[in-house]
Amino acid sequence: MIRTEHLTKSYGGLVAVNDLNLDIPQGQFFAFLGPNGAGKTTTIKLLAGLLKPVSGRAFIGGYDIQKNPVEARRILSYVPDMPFLYDKLEPMEFMLFVGQLFGMGRAEVVRASDELFDVFGLDETRRQVIENLSHGTRQRLVIASALLHQPKVIIIDEPMVGLDPRSARVVKNVLKARSRAGVTVFLSTHVLHIAEELADQVGILNRGRLIAVGTIDELREVSGEKGELEDAFLALTRGEETASELP
Amino acid sequence: MNTLQFFRLLAGVNTRILRRHILAVREKSFLMVSVITLFVVGYWFAGYTVFFMGFHRLGELPGMQGMVVDRMLYLFFAFLFLMLMFSNMIIGYSTLFKSQETQWMLTLPVRSLDVFRWKLMETTLLASWAFLFLSAPLMAAYGNARHVSGGFYLKVFLLFIPFTVMPAAIGCIAILIVTRYLHRRIFKWVLFGVSFVGIWCAILFLKPMQAEDLEKAQIVAALHQLLHTSRVAVQPILPSYWVASSMIAWGEGWSGRGAFFFLVLLSNAMMATLVSVTLSRHLYYEGWSRNHSQGHFELGVPLLDTPISLPHTALVERFVNLWPRMHHATRALVIKDIRVFWRDTSQWSQFVIFFGLLGLYVLNLRSVAYDRNTELWATFVSFLNLGASSMTLATLTTRFVFPQFSLEGKRLWMIGMVPYGLKRVLLEKFWLSSVCTAAITLVLMLTSSWMLQIPGGLTLLFASTVVVMSFSLCGIAVGIGALFPNFSSGSTANRRDDNPAKIVSGFGGTFCFILSLIYVVIVIGAEVTPMYAGFAVGGLGERAQPWGFVLSWIFVSLLSLAATTIPMSLALKKVESLEI
Repeated sequence: MIRTEHLTKSYGGLVAVNDLNLDIPQGQFFAFLGPNGAGKTTTIKLLAGLLKPVSGRAFIGGYDIQKNPVEARRILSYVPDMPFLYDKLEPMEFMLFVGQLFGMGRAEVVRASDELFDVFGLDETRRQVIENLSHGTRQRLVIASALLHQPKVIIIDEPMVGLDPRSARVVKNVLKARSRAGVTVFLSTHVLHIAEELADQVGILNRGRLIAVGTIDELREVSGEKGELEDAFLALTRGEETASELP
Repeated sequence: MNTLQFFRLLAGVNTRILRRHILAVREKSFLMVSVITLFVVGYWFAGYTVFFMGFHRLGELPGMQGMVVDRMLYLFFAFLFLMLMFSNMIIGYSTLFKSQETQWMLTLPVRSLDVFRWKLMETTLLASWAFLFLSAPLMAAYGNARHVSGGFYLKVFLLFIPFTVMPAAIGCIAILIVTRYLHRRIFKWVLFGVSFVGIWCAILFLKPMQAEDLEKAQIVAALHQLLHTSRVAVQPILPSYWVASSMIAWGEGWSGRGAFFFLVLLSNAMMATLVSVTLSRHLYYEGWSRNHSQGHFELGVPLLDTPISLPHTALVERFVNLWPRMHHATRALVIKDIRVFWRDTSQWSQFVIFFGLLGLYVLNLRSVAYDRNTELWATFVSFLNLGASSMTLATLTTRFVFPQFSLEGKRLWMIGMVPYGLKRVLLEKFWLSSVCTAAITLVLMLTSSWMLQIPGGLTLLFASTVVVMSFSLCGIAVGIGALFPNFSSGSTANRRDDNPAKIVSGFGGTFCFILSLIYVVIVIGAEVTPMYAGFAVGGLGERAQPWGFVLSWIFVSLLSLAATTIPMSLALKKVESLEI
């Protein structure tokens, strides 16, 4: 459902994503890990079609995101790390707007929004304008809006930032449930236990290169660490870091 | 989803948002709303009166009929077109390439071409609404002076649509090309270059009248000279020519000629739009991606691309090191403030426009024959220059100094937590802005005084006045900025862009500007009084009673001291107990 072929992106002299090859099947929960500046957000922006690769290709549901962006985005939901919302709209108005942008009918949007508001605990905020909502509530609203049009692929960058434990649990449950229902979830995070808890497959990116990909057990095996994912992650990325960065 | 459906949805949402913004006025301070309403009504009334009187007088000039009025319209629209294009370029860059909404839209199942089309319309509206607001009294006065019927205003309104669309399309074409093919780090240098060339062209083509021409005291000859020097504005190839010609023709009742120029303008505006939309197919997405993918600037020549620190970084530190006894925390704050200002597109781009206009102002001083006319006129012009410089200073401090404290926004905790406290931050902002503005206005004052050939004594008086005023106006701006901060516009969780222009538009900014203007008016009034008292008793201005000047200077000094210390001490007291 998500496929990249030799995907490469550079910023000036810096190669942010270097010859990335991924093949994520339908229904898989894929966690994308990596140290700061590894190129995770750039990869996500390439997958979402926001950036143009210098070489290679990215496919969403079989559509080349560069050649058929509209078709690819119709089945895609992208939640960036700094999501955009219209401050002066109410949550339901925003949902109606987003739903209609994806070609949904009004009644369909209202029905789906009611369900999502219920799941994400947004019922009480219906009559408030978005600018008055807390960061966590806004984040829940963004995720709810991303799920509105029943996407086949969800690409989500650091979704748990600013969420309280209950909201974080809700988001994790919803994403996992969607994944089980056949939606491909591509989640980028620094929080390793989320990956450990949810991911079917984990990819580790370091300095633009995919240095490991597999299940948690496979990563443990490759890294030679039998403990938590954190140990495997540190072991796998150790060789790439300087001595001062990793004690 | 097709283009029309997409536009309809966006229009619906934006209408709703606009309605909420209008309704939110009810929650604003009554003082602010009253002041703004008064300003709007006052501007329209004063603008209409001045324009109407001007049109009326100029229309009565012997042998000229409406020629001078017409030429003024050609000039007005020529400058307006340039300003609209520049304004569209700045706003277009922001809405097309930097806005978070645009990034979000580009992830939706719509074509990037449709996003461009929508953003082009948004840019046109944002960059041009002020044009309608500002030119309304001019149009009303012109129509009334020409005794036109009501249909004239409707036609003029229709005429303005292609006139605002055309610079928007041209500006967006320029931005598309620049962002696609030019590295953003050299963009600012290109902008400086373009501004420089623009001012140079203005010097070349808009050569002002010389004092000798006015010396002849032949108004008709002088006006002929004016018509000659402004002939660049009546080139039939200019869009401003088409709009002015159409308006003049409709004003005279020549419907056919008016319609002809309207159609010329309309077809060219449509062509420019078509070109921009066609170009956007190839350049917009590429440019957007490139704009968000740029790292260090490379020239492509290995030797030149070896890592070096950018020169201005070292310059800032070298400049600050000129004061070795400066406290290390103050030094760090000064360096930070200068760097942040330089790197903030929204700040320096408006700075360039501001000083471009100032350059034109100084340039046009050459046309004022100071020393060849009566002393009353000479004194009037020199004080007028002081007034213009002071008003400029008040605008400068409100626009650029007032937002400084608010711009710290949610980062305030960081500098507030250092062991030197926010008082030092506030004092640093006061001293830095005072020194910078004093230097700028001193140069402006000395240059303009030299060009007007003002005598040494008066130049000294004016120069010392603007230096004192710089400190006072910065005291007001920094003080009011801390007393009425506008953090909500500066940084919210949803915004990455700190917008100083939005900060200034709040209550604090309005209050600061009004206070600054009141201060400027009182100071100039105090300095003018002894001068004109001399004229009133039949003496010459410079020979007026010296004690009058001494008294006025004591008054100005005390007033300035109060204007500096009162807001600053209130602000220092406030930040001492500020909950970050």
